[in-house]
Amino acid sequence: MSRIAAFLVAAIETVLLGGIFLLYPRIARKGLLFGVYVGEERAAGDDAKALTRRWYRGMAALLLAGLAASAFLAAASPEPAAALVPPPLLLSLGVLCLYLLAYRQARALAPPGPPPPAVAPLASGPRTPTALASLALALGAACGLAAVAFSAFRYDALPGRVPTHFGPSGAPDAWREKSFFTVMLLPILALALGIGLGGIAWLTAHAKRALRRADEGASLEAQVRFRTAMTRFLSVTSLLVTGMLTAISFGTIRVGLGESEGLGATPMVLGGALVAWALGGTIYLAVRYGQGGSRLERAGPDNPLTDGLADNRHWWLGMFYANRDDPSILVEHRFGLGYTINFGNPKAVALLAGFLAVVFGLVIAAVLTQ
Amino acid sequence: MSDLSIRLESGQGDTVYEQIARQIRSRIVSGDLPPGFPLPPVRTLASDLGVNLNTVARAYRLLEDEGFVRIRDRSGAEVAAPREETSADAGERFREELRSVLARMRQAGMRPEEIRRAAEAEIAALAGARGREGSRG
Repeated sequence: MSRIAAFLVAAIETVLLGGIFLLYPRIARKGLLFGVYVGEERAAGDDAKALTRRWYRGMAALLLAGLAASAFLAAASPEPAAALVPPPLLLSLGVLCLYLLAYRQARALAPPGPPPPAVAPLASGPRTPTALASLALALGAACGLAAVAFSAFRYDALPGRVPTHFGPSGAPDAWREKSFFTVMLLPILALALGIGLGGIAWLTAHAKRALRRADEGASLEAQVRFRTAMTRFLSVTSLLVTGMLTAISFGTIRVGLGESEGLGATPMVLGGALVAWALGGTIYLAVRYGQGGSRLERAGPDNPLTDGLADNRHWWLGMFYANRDDPSILVEHRFGLGYTINFGNPKAVALLAGFLAVVFGLVIAAVLTQ
Repeated sequence: MSDLSIRLESGQGDTVYEQIARQIRSRIVSGDLPPGFPLPPVRTLASDLGVNLNTVARAYRLLEDEGFVRIRDRSGAEVAAPREETSADAGERFREELRSVLARMRQAGMRPEEIRRAAEAEIAALAGARGREGSRG
């Protein structure tokens, strides 16, 4: 990779990542300020506006620092590709510090007393379709199982050395001794991600709703539309990830057996589609819907946010929700895009721990076997 | 949509399950929730309100015992149609409850005339709700 290409990629990464973080205050639901429920009136007040301006200034400084780091690393590193990782990491760290500072200041604006009373609709209203999420879950499991079965079935026939890495053209550029890990790691990862990501999409369709009081169903409709769009986005993401990993798993075995010279175009096409989908989808969701459908709501001071999202007692640092009584598994982020888990629900914690243990265990095993 | 919602107030005298049951009962009596109206599944309502599953299940069971709700299966519950006739036992039990309520109203300082007007207003509202149900049917 040339130095100019490394700088351009690092700069694009930094700008995209920074741009999404920069957007966060604009897509938050009305009444929330940097992870704190301050009420609809205070969130539109001068103190909140000053805090938001400080966020924009801080983010602009971080973006410039990220671009400068990208240029410096691309120019000075012995290996230009080394410029790709540190800038987004530094930017993320800077955003975390900036957020914690803003959170602490927003806490001072939170109104005293109990949160607005919880509200729930009695009419079933519009529903979030789950067909695509169920399909993603079923196909993810089926593709993963097929990859595992195919690799296990052909294991004995493989020669002593198997391909473990492929170049951009799809041809193998690294080989290692045949072992359980070198052969089975990728199919098992495809299976784990197929079930895990499909499962997250399905759970998103059933995530907790946080409604506004007396808004004639506007927040309910906005929530359902956002949840539907997010479910579709995650379902397609899951399908693309599983498809790509399954194609690589099959291709690896076929190359190892000498039946093929490379992976072919399928993994690259799916990989490219995945990047475009993930990036475009994230920006579209943020701009079109806003977090939790905030851009579709027509909320005023008389329509306070209710339920878990408005209850500061159940949030830690505005990022982690824990309510033992609440049976919800996924709840909306207060600051950001999408959903987080209810750490007060043992089922949710077990699901998260299981998923992370499998995925990180496999990734660490993959690194160790390289 | 906002009319057909449950709202939990903290610091009220009754417990959470009583609040849920009272608000659903009130909507049924007023005719807002007609017979056959599907109530949200226990899990959905508990998740929306951020309360324990058992709290909502207990409210539904109470309403079922009172005859307001029919629990179908895992998918949820629906508003039950009022019975055409009442048994002699049930009639006597309700009269006993009515006597108790009337006695408490009197004890609280309401004059017999005020009690009668309040009772007549409630009966008229009930009849109106039944009339609306009939015209829907």
